[in-house]
Amino acid sequence: MPYHEFKCSECIPERKMHAVVKGPGEDITMALPLGYLNTIPGSISERGCAYCGAKHVIGTPMKDVIHLSHGPVGCTYDTWQTKRYISDNDNFQLKYTYASDVKEKNIVFGAEKMLKQNIIEAFKAFPKIKRMTLYQTCATALIGDDMNAIADEVMEEMPDVDIFVCNSPGFRGPSQSGGHHTINIAWIKDKVGQVEPKITSDYVINYVGEYNIQGDSEVMADYFRRMGIQVLSTFTGNGSYDDLRAMHRAQLNVLECARSAEYICNELRVRYGTPRLDIDGFGFEPLSNSLRKVAMFFGIEDRAQALIDEETARWKPELDWYKERLKGKKVCLWPGGSKLWHWANVIHEEMGVEVISVYTKFGHQGDMEKGISRCEEGALAIDDPNELESVEAMLSLKPDIIFTGKRPGEVAKKIRVPYLNAHAYHNGPWKGYEGWVRFARDIYNAIYSPIHQLSLLDISKDEIPTGNGFVTSGMIANAGLAEEVISAGDLRQYSGKYDCVSDLKNKIYPDFKKVTEE
Amino acid sequence: MNCEVKSKERVGVINPIFTCQPAGAQYVSIGIRDCIGIVHGGQGCVMFVRLLISQHLKESFEIASSSVHEEGAVFGALNRVETAVDVLLMRYPHVKIIPIITTCSTEVIGDDVDGVVIKLNEGLLQEKYAGREVHLVPIHTPSFVGSMVSGYDVALHDFIKYFAEKSEPNGKLNLITGWVNPGDVTELKYLLSEMQIDATVLFEIENFDSPVMPDGNVVSQGDTTIDDLIGTANAYGTIALNRYEGGKAAQYLEKTFKIPTIIGPTPIGIRNTDTFLQNLKKMTGKPIPKSLVHKRGLAIDALTDLTHMFLADKKVAIYGNPDLVIGLAEFCLDLEIKPVLLLLGDDNSFYAKDTRIKALQEKVDFKMEIITNADLWELENRIKNEGLELDLILGHSKGRFVAIDNNIPMLRVGFPTYDRAGLHRYPVVGYNGAIWLAEQMANTIFADMEYKHNKEWVLNVW
Repeated sequence: MPYHEFKCSECIPERKMHAVVKGPGEDITMALPLGYLNTIPGSISERGCAYCGAKHVIGTPMKDVIHLSHGPVGCTYDTWQTKRYISDNDNFQLKYTYASDVKEKNIVFGAEKMLKQNIIEAFKAFPKIKRMTLYQTCATALIGDDMNAIADEVMEEMPDVDIFVCNSPGFRGPSQSGGHHTINIAWIKDKVGQVEPKITSDYVINYVGEYNIQGDSEVMADYFRRMGIQVLSTFTGNGSYDDLRAMHRAQLNVLECARSAEYICNELRVRYGTPRLDIDGFGFEPLSNSLRKVAMFFGIEDRAQALIDEETARWKPELDWYKERLKGKKVCLWPGGSKLWHWANVIHEEMGVEVISVYTKFGHQGDMEKGISRCEEGALAIDDPNELESVEAMLSLKPDIIFTGKRPGEVAKKIRVPYLNAHAYHNGPWKGYEGWVRFARDIYNAIYSPIHQLSLLDISKDEIPTGNGFVTSGMIANAGLAEEVISAGDLRQYSGKYDCVSDLKNKIYPDFKKVTEE
Repeated sequence: MNCEVKSKERVGVINPIFTCQPAGAQYVSIGIRDCIGIVHGGQGCVMFVRLLISQHLKESFEIASSSVHEEGAVFGALNRVETAVDVLLMRYPHVKIIPIITTCSTEVIGDDVDGVVIKLNEGLLQEKYAGREVHLVPIHTPSFVGSMVSGYDVALHDFIKYFAEKSEPNGKLNLITGWVNPGDVTELKYLLSEMQIDATVLFEIENFDSPVMPDGNVVSQGDTTIDDLIGTANAYGTIALNRYEGGKAAQYLEKTFKIPTIIGPTPIGIRNTDTFLQNLKKMTGKPIPKSLVHKRGLAIDALTDLTHMFLADKKVAIYGNPDLVIGLAEFCLDLEIKPVLLLLGDDNSFYAKDTRIKALQEKVDFKMEIITNADLWELENRIKNEGLELDLILGHSKGRFVAIDNNIPMLRVGFPTYDRAGLHRYPVVGYNGAIWLAEQMANTIFADMEYKHNKEWVLNVW
């Protein structure tokens, strides 16, 4: 597996070890790009910081909490309303953000006193909210404010409130990944074990590393409930602060994003002996296997199989409709961390697309191992990509679509490559059976967009078709399809609603009687 | 006095109106051709600001980070700046200007950015990049001072101070726009061209409304050149439209090069656009042409259709950049709309002394509040808990939930407006801006009347 040297990066030779091409017959034992190393200054990398990894990615999805950042206003503002992690608490966590608004005089004289005032003010403004997370930023870490001492002081004076402190300033580590680790460890160290939950089922899990992007975790929780499993807490999408303080009472930690949240699962295993089970909510087969694994742990395989059969029967014909139309399309799978391996193989298997490149912004070598082993031969794998390398890769690889972030998506647009938002999704949720069809639908709509087709024409020199006043996506897709596929009666296009999540909130679940005593 | 100016009483911020200084400096930096800034701090200070601006413009552009990690925070991170400059110059051969924009972390640890610029100028640039035109411009924007608004002001000043160089008069006017949209620049250039005025527009950001082209890659960038910046010292006059976003640079040019200078007013609405044109006339001696009389007439015609039938006595709250908020409030008053609450999102002590704010205090004949150092909770709390009734909110997208959750129609204006399509393409300044604003306000109210069945039948006849 030769290292790949980008032309644009020949002048920074250390970059060469960060990209590899998966050659014929090769696997990850032959070479692996370096990963999770300090970023090269000035390279225009796409990485964020450890503060955002802690606050923005993992902290804020908690739905019933005042999220207060101790620092100047920018860190707070910048990480507010830039994610699509919803909740059933009227999206409180999306709507409100809090900054202690550290000013120059606080830098000089210390900001602890004003932090305390801030905390009290925030609770006063939202009297129904009794929980708070406090996030350190670069500035307050450097002046050495003792946030834990202030939090303790307030908790003593206000016995009905509880405050969690996360000391993860932006400079702590090469990327957001450092923040994931810090908040994982801080949470188990400071908060787990403090609340005794009501156990309502014989089968109790924590659902970990799942952030409820466009409702992902609500979809997955629906499956668990239908199997009679109690989801004690979700870490942290649509998660409740006090539920997460009770994580020690679950029988099993079901882990979705192993990049951002394996730390807490490993610690729960060490401290409480709770086993960790890695699962995957993306894709029919991985999801079905995941549900079977969870069920097998509890000995309720029949419940899982009934659910799998029902969902597969409902949605598989729709997935296959898209698979027929996406076969052979070339994909650059360029997400942030774990999705490169969550998606790499299964989008090939179940949607027929070819993964010609994977990259990870903040993943570690372990993520690359999994990603490279799952993507197609000849694929280019890039660690900590930068702007010029991304453009060079897109121009040479000529993908049909790219899955990446919003701003890199704008770069792709100008190269006339359609993009889907890998972090926030276009029209998610993309987890679950229906969600997976929605993902396929979004890919289809992007690739076969008539406007995208028009973007490829140069009216000054190309032959311009003038016979049609319009073209539909279907017409474009059908041009490359066999007649028996087009007319296949057992396949159909996505038939769900725009919002497939909200109705879950009012759903009534079967009552599996609890047998065991607490 | 009906109009009160007061500061937010809480020390903290709930839902900020602004982000911090480095963001303003970054917005300035992308307006200059062959310029890629290096933000000296953690990576989030760049990554999120790029995301924010790209959401607003639906474009991408380049800004780099010095990627300060833990050891840099402990032992000093100037070596990261040196590497960043070298890497940037090696990989982007077109780059001529590199502003080095500081943040809270690198100001707290006391990194001597000015010193490292001297070191690079005498070392790396001479040794490795001899013969290449490279300008390193230190810009100090600690996040714990001011806001993105003052960051814009500081950065613009620092660029002008670095480049402006007296030689022969260039026969041009300096027009400093302040923090505006590509659509505003188009409108301002239209007014200038109707007046036949040759101007240096800071900044030429029209190309941030850039096309998808059939061949190759399009990277959006500003079109203000080094020569434009140098030439600002040789203009016959400067008009800075916004006091708080460019006023500092205008004053520098006035003081240093004795360039006649007019600061303000933000040409929002008919009256302020009239003043702007009068100022152009005064400064250039050129007459206001019939074509602008016609354009003004079109605007007056459009506004007359709306004001006393639909807009009069509507109560509006406005938040955002201070010059924008004040300009919008003034325009609203001309439209018979009552701006009952203005929110200015930082602690600039000059607001209370601003003559425009003083005029509001002296002359407004209904109850009005102006809150400085404000956050969006000042707005929401008044609506939810203190009985403030509003017919309309004018502000940027970060306040969308105040409008959504309280069923108040809202027109997105300012920065950022990512939750509505294409707003960066339209002006709020000039006569065309007046038409756009008034009609959008009206249409926003009309749509709300229909959703709420609130006299929606009125529009059966109009």
